[in-house]
Amino acid sequence: MPHRLGPMQVLPSPVRRFADHETVDYCVVGVGSAGGVLVQRLARAGFRVVGLEAGPFWDTEKDWVSDEKGSHELYWNDLRITGGTHPLALGANNSGKGVGGGSVHWAAFAPRFHPSDFRIYSEDGVGADWPMSYWDLKPYYELLEREIPVAGPVWFPWGDPHGHPYGPHPLGGVGDVLVRGCTKLGLRSVAGGPVAILSASHGDRPHCIYRGFCLQGCKVGAKASTLITHVPDAITHGADIRAHSMAARISLRGDGRVDGVIYIDREGKEHFQRARAVIVSGYAIETPRLLLNSACPGHRHGLANSSGTLGKYLMAQAGNVVAGRFDELIRLYKAPPAHALTEEFYETDPRRGFARGFAVQTVGPLPVAFAKQMAVAMGAWGWGMRRVMMDYNHWATLGVLGEILPWEDNRVELAEEKDQHGLPVAKVTFNLHDNDKKLIEFGRNKVMEIMWAAGAKQVVQESRYAHLVGAARMGSDPSTSVVDKFGRTHDVPNLFICDGSILPTQGSANPGLTIQALAARTADYLIRQGDTIFYSSRRDQEEPGIRYDLSPPYTHFKGNPRIA
Amino acid sequence: MSRRSFPCRATGGELRDLEQPGYYPGYSTLAQKKSWEEATRKTVTERVEKTAPIRFFSQEEAALLGAVVDRVMPQDDRAEDRTIPVLSVIDERLYKNSLNGFRYEDMPPDQEAYRLAIRAIDEMAQSRFKESFTDLTVHRQELILKSLHDGKPEPDNAVWHRMPLHRFWALLMEDCATAYYSHPWAWDEIGFGGPAYPRGYMRLENGLPEPWEKDEQRYEWNEPIDSLSQLEDSH
Ligand SMILES: Cc1cc2nc3c(=O)[nH]c(=O)nc-3n(C[C@H](O)[C@H](O)[C@H](O)COP(=O)(O)OP(=O)(O)OC[C@H]3O[C@@H](n4cnc5c(N)ncnc54)[C@H](O)[C@@H]3O)c2cc1C
Ligand code: SF4
Repeated sequence: MPHRLGPMQVLPSPVRRFADHETVDYCVVGVGSAGGVLVQRLARAGFRVVGLEAGPFWDTEKDWVSDEKGSHELYWNDLRITGGTHPLALGANNSGKGVGGGSVHWAAFAPRFHPSDFRIYSEDGVGADWPMSYWDLKPYYELLEREIPVAGPVWFPWGDPHGHPYGPHPLGGVGDVLVRGCTKLGLRSVAGGPVAILSASHGDRPHCIYRGFCLQGCKVGAKASTLITHVPDAITHGADIRAHSMAARISLRGDGRVDGVIYIDREGKEHFQRARAVIVSGYAIETPRLLLNSACPGHRHGLANSSGTLGKYLMAQAGNVVAGRFDELIRLYKAPPAHALTEEFYETDPRRGFARGFAVQTVGPLPVAFAKQMAVAMGAWGWGMRRVMMDYNHWATLGVLGEILPWEDNRVELAEEKDQHGLPVAKVTFNLHDNDKKLIEFGRNKVMEIMWAAGAKQVVQESRYAHLVGAARMGSDPSTSVVDKFGRTHDVPNLFICDGSILPTQGSANPGLTIQALAARTADYLIRQGDTIFYSSRRDQEEPGIRYDLSPPYTHFKGNPRIA
Repeated sequence: MSRRSFPCRATGGELRDLEQPGYYPGYSTLAQKKSWEEATRKTVTERVEKTAPIRFFSQEEAALLGAVVDRVMPQDDRAEDRTIPVLSVIDERLYKNSLNGFRYEDMPPDQEAYRLAIRAIDEMAQSRFKESFTDLTVHRQELILKSLHDGKPEPDNAVWHRMPLHRFWALLMEDCATAYYSHPWAWDEIGFGGPAYPRGYMRLENGLPEPWEKDEQRYEWNEPIDSLSQLEDSH
């Protein structure tokens, strides 16, 4: 049986294997949202690339199911410790393990950040400015929107208004509630996207069938994950992607440059992959963990941590779920959970008494997830749980997506506990600060108002958090950040970080598209710098210029439609 | 399974020994399994056909936690052969050490958390009613569990000073909810469409059923009149 990536696509074969003693150009740790795009770009440009991935190489037909409980293995289930005043639930709530990483189980909302997100310190005196602007990233947003591709309204009115290459999806019951509630309150809303879900077939990927199992990995292949959008092309172009390969340490040479990665295979055997440069793309928890675990003489507090900021300024977005019960049937399990939103409250409004804002989005919990939410939101148990669940089809759920600011005390450190490989696990500490609390309170109340306006007969809410980013932030000052604007660590010239952990702030947009756009930009930079990355310490901060000839097949569109 | 909290009456008569509780009589997700793809069919069918043996808990622990689970996820309305296994699912997870990816810093590992809680609940029963939890009447069992749910253990127990009660309660609820609502009989009860690949859905709006789904037929469903686990606002 061929290795399947969706019902039509087959994994190209053979997959290249470099021998153990071979030195490659790039070793990328983690083939997730960012890592998948990176290996594809670098391989297409002719570099010798190895991607080490801790989890499996999914065969979507065999390994994935349309079932909540049966999808447990998609997530990073290894131990992590969580604490602080508002400890984050991790696991299924946060990150994936396996080729494709978090893009396998993301809901695939794909909004862009707003131009203001890149300069909140200048505009509001909070958080930090990015060492780059929205306009530097915009061409990459447009490119990735075509590559993955994004379906949505032809006119998205917020931030930098834009359109989408694929048409919007039909509305499900929950989206209808969002649009109804917003309209009642005079708020603009959009429906049917922006989501990285196909509204029409695309190459060898079928369109969405509205079955609602997006968080369980889309067997249909309609929802984008780097597993099906970029990894096949990477393999066609000679990338070596090694599943079940857990990076344990990055090796530093006497001259202050890294020379490879020590990793552990499925059988527990240790290997050393020599590389001329290393890129860490392991997610906002595992990336700092790996660098902290790579402490060595000269880098006693973790590799590339001379600033002391590695692991710090970790962010999560407020993700309060507001559930409303309606007299009529909703059937919230139909249609992708992600399909309608409003960004009317995204920007700072001084009248609200806090900086920055939030988005309101549809969410569509399946029965197990919904029952867990009701246990918290309503304190349901026993017969009460049975009763509320019998009304499952009468509930609609909307989520706050609120910007929590980067704070130094929100961080990833090493715990005393070890994982199955004997490596110290990550300890995540998360505290809410005053601005965050005010923002959450306002956001939650606003979403409840929308729910009432839509006609709900009962409204309850549960506090939660989503989308971890930060913890190895980019900046132009090496004393307050870990990497520069291209993801190069300030301390080690041939060590890069490229994933959600380099975000200095997070806005109220889901981070996935931004993470992939940043990966494409970093790849262009590396390609333009060429061999100098491998021996020179010169730091060129020139924009690389976007390459339009590196996209995977079937994704060469002319442009992004936009009807103003 | 203790069935002592019955009878309970709805407008349509007494609700017990039901093949299928809920408002979707005659609806069966499993009847659709021929239109599911193979991997999903296998996962869901095994869930129905195979119940894992108890391997993690001791007999006494299993008996006590079983009694707790019968009140936290009561199924007295279901016919014996249509009861959804919950305890064995928890036992299997702990036995296989299948973690959920994290542990709160103030919590022990899940296995230890369950053992501690079982001990605490039995001690609470002994000190309050001079009987083992498993032998208590349903009402007395609910009194103890309600005090845990409310975060005010009655009587207090040393375990709840070592382990935050609200976190254990959340863990228990998550495990019970996962076991019950991942079962296709529960999907029939709540009218969930179940797996829908490769077929998909075609009626997305207005809560309309697919041709193979059923319309809701509501009636006045009553939980046992004296149960302490009713929703606060439901009466
Ligand atoms: C339920 C859910 C819904 C979401 N919905 C959305 C959404 O709608 N829109 C959106 O934009 N975002 C969404 N997200 C967030 C999104 O998934 C993440 O922000 C994104 O995937 C992060 O990308 P990344 O490249 O930083 O890391 P990941 O995509 O997590 O990739 C990291 C990869 O590195 C691997 N790895 C880690 N450590 C090692 C190691 N030491 N050795 C080898 N491999 C390693 C991991 O196994 C993983 O595959 C959602 C997340 C969840 C949990
Ligand atoms: S709703 Fe669409 S995108 Fe989501 S899992 Fe189903 S087919 Fe895939």
